[in-house]
Amino acid sequence: MSNKSTMEFQSNKDFFSRVNLFVQTHTALMAVIIAAILFAATIIINPRSLNLVAIGNIVLLTVILSIPAAGQTLVLIGGGMDFGVGAVMSATAILTTYTMRGENGHFLPVLLISIAIGVVVGFVNGFCSVKIGLPAMIVTMAIANIVTRLQYILTQGVLSGTASPLLASTVKFKIGGVIPHVAVYALIIWPLVFYILNKSRFGKQLYLVGNNPTAAKLTGIKVDKVRIISYIFSGVLAAFAGIIGAAYMSTARCQIFDGYAYDSLIATIIGGTTFAGGSGSYAGSIAGSLVMVLLSNLLTSLNLASPIRNVLNAVILVLLLMLYNRGKAVRQ
Amino acid sequence: MLEMRGIHKRFGAVVALNDASLSVNEGEILALAGSNGSGKSTMIKVLAGLVAPNSGKIFFDGKEVAIHSGTDSVKEGIATAFQDLSLIPTMSVQDNILLGCEPKKNGFVDEKKARKIVLELLEKFHIDCDPDDYVQTLMPSTQSMLEVAKAVYRKPKILLLDEVTASLHYDEIETLFGIMRELKAEGVSMIYVTHRMNEIFQICDTITIMRSSNTVISGKVSDFSLDDIVYYMTGARPEHSDTVAEKAEDFADRELVVDVKDLAIAPKVKDISMKAYKGEIVGIGGLEGQGQSEVIRAILGAVKPEGGSIDYLGKKTKFKAPADGVKAGIGFISGERNVEAMFPIRPISENIFAGNSAKNRMFKFLTKKEVRKFSQDAVDKYNIKIGKLKDPASSLSGGNQQKLVVARWIAMKPNLLLLDDPTKGVDIHSRQEIHDIIRECAANGMTVIISASDTEELMNISERIYVFYEGKVAAMLAGPEKTQERLVSAMMGINENKKEELAE
Amino acid sequence: MKSIGASFRRFRRKPAFTGFILFLVVLLLNIIVQGWSQCLSRGFSIGNALAFFQPSSLNSIFMSNMPFILVTIGQALLLLVGQMDVSIGVQIALVNVVCIMVPQQTGCPVWVGWLVGFAAAFAISALAGVCCSVLRLPSLLATYAMTFLVQGINVLIMNVPQGAVPRAYWKPYQSTVYGLFENPPSFLKFLDYIPVAALVLIAVLLIWHFFARKPFGKHIYAVGTNQRNAFAAGINPVSTQMKAFLIKGFFVGVAGICLTLMSASGNPLQCEEYGIKSLSAAIIGGMGWGGWGSISCGVFGGGFLVLIQNAVYYFFTLLSKLFNGFAVTSYWHNFVSDIIIFGGLLMTLVTAREQRKTLQQGLKSQFKRGEKNVK
Repeated sequence: MSNKSTMEFQSNKDFFSRVNLFVQTHTALMAVIIAAILFAATIIINPRSLNLVAIGNIVLLTVILSIPAAGQTLVLIGGGMDFGVGAVMSATAILTTYTMRGENGHFLPVLLISIAIGVVVGFVNGFCSVKIGLPAMIVTMAIANIVTRLQYILTQGVLSGTASPLLASTVKFKIGGVIPHVAVYALIIWPLVFYILNKSRFGKQLYLVGNNPTAAKLTGIKVDKVRIISYIFSGVLAAFAGIIGAAYMSTARCQIFDGYAYDSLIATIIGGTTFAGGSGSYAGSIAGSLVMVLLSNLLTSLNLASPIRNVLNAVILVLLLMLYNRGKAVRQ
Repeated sequence: MLEMRGIHKRFGAVVALNDASLSVNEGEILALAGSNGSGKSTMIKVLAGLVAPNSGKIFFDGKEVAIHSGTDSVKEGIATAFQDLSLIPTMSVQDNILLGCEPKKNGFVDEKKARKIVLELLEKFHIDCDPDDYVQTLMPSTQSMLEVAKAVYRKPKILLLDEVTASLHYDEIETLFGIMRELKAEGVSMIYVTHRMNEIFQICDTITIMRSSNTVISGKVSDFSLDDIVYYMTGARPEHSDTVAEKAEDFADRELVVDVKDLAIAPKVKDISMKAYKGEIVGIGGLEGQGQSEVIRAILGAVKPEGGSIDYLGKKTKFKAPADGVKAGIGFISGERNVEAMFPIRPISENIFAGNSAKNRMFKFLTKKEVRKFSQDAVDKYNIKIGKLKDPASSLSGGNQQKLVVARWIAMKPNLLLLDDPTKGVDIHSRQEIHDIIRECAANGMTVIISASDTEELMNISERIYVFYEGKVAAMLAGPEKTQERLVSAMMGINENKKEELAE
Repeated sequence: MKSIGASFRRFRRKPAFTGFILFLVVLLLNIIVQGWSQCLSRGFSIGNALAFFQPSSLNSIFMSNMPFILVTIGQALLLLVGQMDVSIGVQIALVNVVCIMVPQQTGCPVWVGWLVGFAAAFAISALAGVCCSVLRLPSLLATYAMTFLVQGINVLIMNVPQGAVPRAYWKPYQSTVYGLFENPPSFLKFLDYIPVAALVLIAVLLIWHFFARKPFGKHIYAVGTNQRNAFAAGINPVSTQMKAFLIKGFFVGVAGICLTLMSASGNPLQCEEYGIKSLSAAIIGGMGWGGWGSISCGVFGGGFLVLIQNAVYYFFTLLSKLFNGFAVTSYWHNFVSDIIIFGGLLMTLVTAREQRKTLQQGLKSQFKRGEKNVK
């Protein structure tokens, strides 16, 4: 082998490692790039999908997903995992339609009860996984199951009630026919989460706890408290997302939003938050949510039979995970 | 017999090895010395197949070999006892020793033979445990011995020992040296990494010294003096003038800050009483694992005392968690940086700010500027060598990491500072700087309690020394009584009348 | 007696102890509730009180739950090497679909279909292994993505539930050993208490025992606890994990065939929930994440979940007999089962605490020995 080709090989390798480094350090930006690619692909495949209604829907769904993803981000940064967000969303969605029955004027009690549900479920999740020390994934799932069973007991498996017209309009009405009203909710939630994570001592503590709980404890941080609070935030945010989801869907059956447990998790991971804890950003999770929504949008616009769509979905998800969420090799 | 030539290794931007080389002959014990972060462990890991070098060659009996994995390494006849232990805590002693080289019969593990081999090894190493015990239930020193036993079981041609004596009792070290001499007689070569200088003179034939990723010099141990070795390791001749002027002040008129009475924490601490006055540096000495860490953590509130009491500023403490201790103005610096102090993937600024972020109300507004200013001040004041404030803390060298941790706490202006072996594995220069900082703080009225495994360090820094032995205070040394000789004898649990024996 | 005490003490330290106790408790509960319920409707007798042990009852429990128990064993194996597979449920549906469709479409004998089913199980497990172990993707998410993949493939192979298995195949599986004989002599009557499905379980456990006695049986613990250390000891973590995935593929194959014989038909969209449920079961059985646990944890944990559902069913039957007019929907059954499963998770802690205590005692005695050395 000539010297030159080795050199070329070297520089090639450098290029890849540079790309790799870029992906590792700019996870949020990377998610935006992937989203752009997915959107471009959708438009190329189906030019008609570039219309205001479609874009409005994308915004709406992204906002809805970004809310449970916010809770998931907080919990993951603290080194936990919350598989219960989907069940909580379904539960509050059902509560919303069940209580409102298509009438205005029930918003406040619904909101208060939902938040109470979120707090209780979040606290139980946090307590069991942090204080008692059960594996977070299993225990949040077990509690999610119980929440799901309660939905069935309440409704006996029957669809009942609809969201109030006013609530529905706050979500679906579009400002200037483009931007859905739901963006207003985003304007409240997004900065709030950003504040919690980046501008408060709690956020700083959460990152430290996620990175090294032992050191955090010896530094005087109340590790358990911080972690439990992250679960409570997750519960409350999911509860709120359930109300908005109910407004979007109008009616709600049991387990309607259960898929959001995985979706929020994948969105967060794509956004650069890691399972190991201690790193990640909410901006990344929002971008990750956009990726998830655009991916399902792309698959829908392809007009494929559902099994093939499933297979394609799986392949793309694995590719995304491969791109930048691989574990470290044993050998350095 | 074994030669490594021109080994380079980069981890991202950090150079770990730069043109490093060493060689060892048959039946020879090579000491690999160097201050922390000089690349000793990386050299060992290259040989063990855990780190792939970017370039460089390894020769075995004159033939070039490629070591790509642990399997290759074992195949070449290399066995390694790692510093951070390679034992599997959830497996039994027997399975651990045999792991990867199980005796086989028809493709199955031969349990009978396995038991025999393990019992023999345990006997040889004077390890007193059941082969079926889970390793996680064993003491650290026993685990270290097991780590060596595991390596020896592989019947290596070359045995790599990476700081295995760090947590061993002195009689265990004797056993180990005995076995090393035996192996040497059988023609086994060894590479021995250690921080303890006396061990080099005791057991090693040749020495290779590393400094900042490079091998500086090699030669016969007998050709070096202690000062020479320190010189090659650090690039500076050691100064022997670093001693504290004796303070013969009477403590009675000073404020009593900490008063530990009859403290007991199972299993290590049995009966400890000690006092610390305002503005004083109190040392805790003793062999490793005599209860020093437990007492320090009990004062902080991280460990619950089972008996006795701790008074802090005249009041009995009821700390439930370190958070309570910190709130009461106590700071804690641990020598186990990676486990107990650093947040490796978080930025340097957040690492310095960590103690501060635990204070105040949780959801109070916090600007980026506040964090940056706080950390920049600390970096400037304590001369921490960093790239950028937003770089991850893992980018720092060991000494700078420890300075960071010290800065984190000093900046909080605690009333009482607890240090548990703070300069473990820190290079001499940083160690000196840390000592200066501590002295300055004490002069300004901070009370300091420091435990250290290094007797010289303890002698230098502390005004009074409590020596722990088997969970009890064996001696309290102050004033003219504070001599190296007394310290060592108290550490070994030797009473006054046996002192002559030690002097020999 | 002394040796029994010693071996019990040894067992108490084993991870499976946790699951064993829970299993025992729920087994007892089941026996009582079922017996009580039976006695109320048919009058008290020893036979009725021990209704749980009646051949038909035993047989139906083993027969209908064998797929789940086998899947839990597979999941336990993966947890041991530090991985998991939440697509394990849809994988047995894949085997089921293949076993039905291959003979139906090609006209080949049923056993050829089974072989292809096994091949499919191995292939999909190998793929999961490549994703999780070779490519080092987070196993939870990678195998979740694979759930879509496998479900898609299932529907591509079989679009709607259909198909049948010849009676000669499913009949033996669904009967007891006694029932296998045409005209059995009555002294063999005791064989009626051994369901054929239980033999499947025993056979699988024996096959596992074969692997466990090889060095591989030790290596899985090392790889699950600490890949780096395993690697340093000359073990290849990737190949060990891949082997575990393939053995899991074998378990999935057997489970899929049991599923086929149990339902005697095919359904592409079944058992998805087994993926997560088997994880919970394995944890209840005493598994930790990586390197802590054993295959028996899977057996006990799976048994726990199975018996809970059974017990809750009889519990509500009992209630409806005790209180006239008491009737609830099956939603309540599920609710109570899930509450008890949650309770089971909490209980693992109590038993684990007991274990920790024994560990600590070991630590203390160790320390005393250490002191001896110093002196």
